[in-house]
Amino acid sequence: MSSIITLTLPGQIMFARLASQTASSLADLVIGENREESAKRKFCHAFELAVSEAVTNSVTHAEELDAPQMLTVTFEFEPRQLTVSVRDANPPFSIDKSAPDIESYPVHGFGLKIIREIMDQFTYRRDGDANIITMSKSL
Amino acid sequence: MNITETSNGAIAIVAIEGRLDALSAPELRNNRSVIDPEKTVVLNLEKLDFMNSTGLGAIVGALNQKLQPDFGIVLSCMNDDVRSVFEITNVQKLFHIFDDTAAAVEFATTRQGAHT
Repeated sequence: MSSIITLTLPGQIMFARLASQTASSLADLVIGENREESAKRKFCHAFELAVSEAVTNSVTHAEELDAPQMLTVTFEFEPRQLTVSVRDANPPFSIDKSAPDIESYPVHGFGLKIIREIMDQFTYRRDGDANIITMSKSL
Repeated sequence: MNITETSNGAIAIVAIEGRLDALSAPELRNNRSVIDPEKTVVLNLEKLDFMNSTGLGAIVGALNQKLQPDFGIVLSCMNDDVRSVFEITNVQKLFHIFDDTAAAVEFATTRQGAHT
């Protein structure tokens, strides 16, 4: 059995923080008391960071639109994994970009690399006019 | 996020507390010591609880402001969560990172002295 929690947020940067802090709280709630504290901390931070990256990317592009859209962040708890989907109405984008070259002292472009590194599964798809990013991490 | 600033000789010690993300990054980008090309800054990250890639970009951007990219921004005291963001992205290669602020200040002072 799974449980689902959905946040519907305005596409504004202040709400990216709300989504990531919610992610951290939910991860802390579901990971259980029996884990070693450092493993628990690492899991919660990874989940929070991945949500922060995905939602920040979404709201940053939403703010560029004439009329910023709402976005939906859906958390799904299953017995062995925690999944989050971020859905927005922004223009489509590519997830095939490589990470920026460090030697050029880049100030952006790291979000997807971080997500891929810390989450167990990551997918992107276009559904009509919507982007949907889905990320999972095993408990 | 709170930023507090002290100085040790010619070195500015900028301590960041709280969360460094897209909401708070502009405050760091606009910090007067950060944007001063000639000012060497030790960023004390001891009380930085959370940082995402936007915050990381603000720190790299701070380094880009400096005339001396090798020691214009020196980092100290980051926790494991913050350190992991530097390591995943390989950005730690761009900085000198110390476990305590006194060592970071000593390093920055020595390097700055060698360039004056």
